[in-house]
Amino acid sequence: MRTGACVQAVGVLTGWGEGVAALPDDARAAATAHPVIRLTRPALDGERFRRATRECLLGVAAVQQMLGDADLPRGAIAGPRTALLFVTAGAYGPSNVEFITGRAGTLHFPYTAPSALSAEVAIEFGLTGAYVILVGGPTATVDALWQAGRLLGEGRCDRALVLAVETFDECEALWRRARWVLPTPLVEAAVCAMLVRGASGVTVTGNGSGAAFEAEAQTRAGSTLACGPLIALALAREAGGGATRVTGTWRGRRAAIELTTTGRLARN
Amino acid sequence: MVIAAGAVTPVGLDLDAFWSGLLAGSDGLSAIERFPVNDLRVGRGGEIKKVPPIAAGVRSRAAALLIAAAADLKSRAPIDAAPERVAVVLGTALGGVEELEHALAGDDSPRRALDALYDAPAHALAGWLQARGPAITVSNACASGATALGLGADLLRDDEADLVVAGGFDILCRFVLRGFDALRSLTRERVRPFDRRRSGLLLGEAAGLTLLARERDARGPRLGRLLGHGTASDASHVAAPDPQGRGLESAIRAALDAAGADPGDLDFVSAHGTGTPLNDRIETAVLRRVLGPRATQVPVNSIKGALGHTMGAAATLEAIMCLLAARDGLLPPTVGYEEPDPDCGLDYVPGACRAARPHLMLSTSLGFGGCNAALVLEGM
Repeated sequence: MRTGACVQAVGVLTGWGEGVAALPDDARAAATAHPVIRLTRPALDGERFRRATRECLLGVAAVQQMLGDADLPRGAIAGPRTALLFVTAGAYGPSNVEFITGRAGTLHFPYTAPSALSAEVAIEFGLTGAYVILVGGPTATVDALWQAGRLLGEGRCDRALVLAVETFDECEALWRRARWVLPTPLVEAAVCAMLVRGASGVTVTGNGSGAAFEAEAQTRAGSTLACGPLIALALAREAGGGATRVTGTWRGRRAAIELTTTGRLARN
Repeated sequence: MVIAAGAVTPVGLDLDAFWSGLLAGSDGLSAIERFPVNDLRVGRGGEIKKVPPIAAGVRSRAAALLIAAAADLKSRAPIDAAPERVAVVLGTALGGVEELEHALAGDDSPRRALDALYDAPAHALAGWLQARGPAITVSNACASGATALGLGADLLRDDEADLVVAGGFDILCRFVLRGFDALRSLTRERVRPFDRRRSGLLLGEAAGLTLLARERDARGPRLGRLLGHGTASDASHVAAPDPQGRGLESAIRAALDAAGADPGDLDFVSAHGTGTPLNDRIETAVLRRVLGPRATQVPVNSIKGALGHTMGAAATLEAIMCLLAARDGLLPPTVGYEEPDPDCGLDYVPGACRAARPHLMLSTSLGFGGCNAALVLEGM
């Protein structure tokens, strides 16, 4: 049985700042000559984070940002009824490069796995529910939104966090080799959307087509890979009213998911 | 519905050889020859010595193994839906990381850089299959192959595809050998899941694929059904499993719930069974809690003594093993298990393969990052 889903909150951190309000009108113009717009390492305290990578901390910070958007205490999402779906195209890259080149110590190896980032988030917020990690660009984020809708619809969770993190700075030279895939500026981002079942909460709505929000996210934020569809969601939420489609394109494939005002999630 | 399967593994380069190797109790672990290991404590693993000819010219080894497994799959069942209705869902712990090693070692071609991304092998396979539907890469560490099968089944349930090629893969490369060697997770002895003398795991490389379809669309012979899947996060440690196995238990119960099954219905368990002291003890405790008084009556095996830990491929190969066991009425033994451990007191199918025809089966998986996954499978 599927009862639909809607987005209750979106936390957005990009190299431009916090929230979609920080996005410029034209990322390419705003970037001037900078190919990468970097996010600084969040200043999170605690012995537990002593080995955590910048990417892990960005994931934690994005969830905190989302909680602020939802006006929820962190305890509200703890436990087995919150699903965590993490998406990235390449946030594991810096860790992998460090390990291969010998710059990192032996205990760094577990941090080379994409699951290290989501593990730090799960530990920090006590998330013990369903757990899916997808690797890919914007289409993977659409896939994650679809899976979140399924988990909610089947009653396997009460809320689903779809988290995307992308960093480019440490691996800029590698990314630039694939520059025909990724137009500059490459903008680091960490975005978390919280989906809930049914029409409760604030339904994500928009008054334009999904393609328009995808294009707007690209124009205003720049290349953010897996974060793009979630930034588009945040833009749709800002626009308010009507149904919206969230779309993504990657490696020649396209995916779209529709979020209607009734909260039903239909992938197409 | 699981229509067919294909595999390339250290004990056999196609499904039939894989299955006969498991039943014979073959040991696919050997000295690694493909890359230097002299500087490591342990230089053994489940290495595939020769990639099947159909994939010989493929540059990425991960893609080559996938194509070899897909060719095996296609020889057993046609993939005859419209290309845009064929999806590919693959699990991997390492993706194309060996391409990153090459890219950092001086190969500055753009293709190397793009192939270093973990989703590159799935897209390579989708291209080889001419599949134009969703191409999804799951990276729930060593539980990836189970979650990929689950997502593949979900695509069918939501009518997002008519056929799904779902499975898992990973290769042996210096990156992963160095990593596990540094963590002192690798044994210098034999891999002995659940044995009193177990001292660690050895890694292996493999690709395992299944062809999934809705029941109404399935034609011809079939292997079985994927009735339910579940995942859960430990939220306790980046690298180590939860000491009580709470996440694994949650994943198992979620899979049983999705399958509409009761623990009392289970008659075989394919365990993660890495052969590390911690994993096998925790997993046994969880199975005792889930299975209750019947725990010692339900056979539990691990095939990692034969293959090594094939990471992203492991859970898929274990699911395939379950379905073949049901088909042929034979349970493969736990290779390496000889001396019982008081902390692991279940029936681990010691010695030789056993005549038994399980009907409802559970497959369990764990991975770095607190990943847990479980599948409930039904034999035909």
